[in-house]
Amino acid sequence: MIVLPTIPYNTLVVAAGVAAVGFAAGVVGSLGVLRKRALVGDAAAHATLVGVAAAFLMTGRRDLPALLLGAFVAAVGSLGVLVLLRRVTRTRDDAATAIVLGVSFGLGITLVSGITARGIPGGAGLEQFLLGHTAALTASDAVLLAGVSAAAVLLLAIGLKEATLVAFDAAFAAASGWPVGMIDYALVTLVAVMVVVGLPAAGAVLVTALVVIPPVAARQWTDRVTTMLVLAGCFGLVAGLVGVGLSAAVPRLSTGPVVVLVAAAIFVVSFFGSPSRGWLARWRRQRAVAQGWAEGRIIEAALHAMQASSSGYFTRQSIESRLGTAVAPGRSSTMASSRAWRGLLLRHAIEPAPASEASVLATQSSQGISLWRLTEQGKAEAVERARRLALWGDVLAVASGDARAFLTIDLPPPEAVLDAARLHAIRAAVAASGP
Amino acid sequence: MGHDVKCHNLEFHDVTVAYGRRPVLWNIDLSVDGPGLFGVIGPNGAGKSTLVKAALGLVPLVGGSVRLFGLPLEHVRPRIGYVPQRETVDWDFPVSAVEVVLMGTYARLGWFRRPGATQRALARECLDRVGLGEIADRQIGRLSGGQQQRVFLARALAQQADLYFLDEPMAGVDARSQDQIFRVLSELRTEGKLVVVVHHDLRTAGEWFDSVALIDMRLVAAGPTAAVLTPENLRRTYAGHLDVLDELGRAVEQRGRTP
Repeated sequence: MIVLPTIPYNTLVVAAGVAAVGFAAGVVGSLGVLRKRALVGDAAAHATLVGVAAAFLMTGRRDLPALLLGAFVAAVGSLGVLVLLRRVTRTRDDAATAIVLGVSFGLGITLVSGITARGIPGGAGLEQFLLGHTAALTASDAVLLAGVSAAAVLLLAIGLKEATLVAFDAAFAAASGWPVGMIDYALVTLVAVMVVVGLPAAGAVLVTALVVIPPVAARQWTDRVTTMLVLAGCFGLVAGLVGVGLSAAVPRLSTGPVVVLVAAAIFVVSFFGSPSRGWLARWRRQRAVAQGWAEGRIIEAALHAMQASSSGYFTRQSIESRLGTAVAPGRSSTMASSRAWRGLLLRHAIEPAPASEASVLATQSSQGISLWRLTEQGKAEAVERARRLALWGDVLAVASGDARAFLTIDLPPPEAVLDAARLHAIRAAVAASGP
Repeated sequence: MGHDVKCHNLEFHDVTVAYGRRPVLWNIDLSVDGPGLFGVIGPNGAGKSTLVKAALGLVPLVGGSVRLFGLPLEHVRPRIGYVPQRETVDWDFPVSAVEVVLMGTYARLGWFRRPGATQRALARECLDRVGLGEIADRQIGRLSGGQQQRVFLARALAQQADLYFLDEPMAGVDARSQDQIFRVLSELRTEGKLVVVVHHDLRTAGEWFDSVALIDMRLVAAGPTAAVLTPENLRRTYAGHLDVLDELGRAVEQRGRTP
């Protein structure tokens, strides 16, 4: 009952090779993404086609090592042109990247279609480098790809300290004597290497997906560089494997689109599901902010209501009508209000009227309207909130931008973030400008 | 070095810097000696940060030269610490506070050597010193602005330098962080270090710095704080910035009144 032997040996080796490429692309790409060089890799990727075509024209054979060498030369050449464009013509980064990407890709397509149109023997398969096609790879090709991938990962591991330093804070690195330019070139060259060995798997158009998507997905799950590298590697590996599998099973199916779609699926899951950075987590945080604000507004109104009524009690309805839609505007306002109400009850900021006193005010409670009051703790909280609001109002009225920057929606005490002299000056300014 | 009395801790000689063709610093001649806190003061766009970057070799000089401890920068890098402006990095970067501080030890480690127990202990110690020992393992994006600034200061401490450059360390920093940063800087002074601080707030400049330089592209004045921060000098520094002059006038008056 062993299934393995039914898969051809060649396919297994190719699968292993492409898996290694996917892993290395994720690892190397992570540093590229952290250094904000994602687009640079894309420019290099599109330029590889020129190299592939040129290498074919020179050797006259479709020999993978030679074609990839040509692709690498073209990729590095395009990066050189990119640097020159920026230095000499002062074109901005994004524009320079777009120019190099577009022009080199146009040149590549022209060459490849010219070769195909002229029916140069062996040239028919070159367009496979456009979208990737692993079915035609031989075992020795796969070994080459895996070997280069392993070397790339090893090199990155050796220089990880330096690469991370430059990626995080290039100015600090330069100030402490590191050759930032050289480290950058080394990193971008490694990215170019991965783009080149990723060509058979994903093709010139889509190979950046292997270098960019897995790292971005991995970032969603971790706050550590090393974990991100390994995770991105695993994502890339999975994407590569599925691509090879489908390409082997479905005749004439290009690998690249499959690889990209699998990577994108992983990204979508990461984007929604990540416990701290995902869309869900962000939605929960946003909801917590809205609830905190609503709670504040409720006890604020409750304090006013208690002061206004002789009994010291208030109803939920009276508070909500007092606030209007201010608790949380929009359709979900009742829900936000309910959550806020529950939250206040849970932390004992408000409490229902005791049964004995409620019966005294039976006219209201008999109508099914429950009475509430602020606890001592709730009262203190409301008073403190009012104090902070007033003080922040002064800050907003007279202070300059960097004092305002400390105001957050959870209303920190101003004296915790602004120094005493500053607060004093603000109070004085308000007093001076007052009525 | 001790025998040469003319050897200053930090010396700008005729330094001119331009971004493209636009001059940012113009013939700056300035020598600074430690120990102490030295403030670089001036209006926005006066070239304060550029002065620090020129000293650190981060911007090319059009003319002139900078010497640190009497030597060109390349010879004394290990003795220099740097706190860049907080906005220059991406705080979403996946590193913890202690890992950032560890980066301060990288230059001494050299190529490819990984930080070991010694460096980790030093990083923790530096974080403790700025009062962040308890949140050492937190991702840096989850820190407040003031805490981020203190992480940067701790990283500079981990450089174990003799001369520190800080670029706007008090900008957007809460009161508690401000106190803590100032306390650490005062400790550095006690340890005999020279600390050069780019600073924008004239209210606090008077009480924090032992000496200051007022710059507005050109050097307006430099020397002991009390002697330099005069209404006349401030007027010359902020001449093109009339909107702030009024506020400055008040600040200076207040300083004059307090004994």
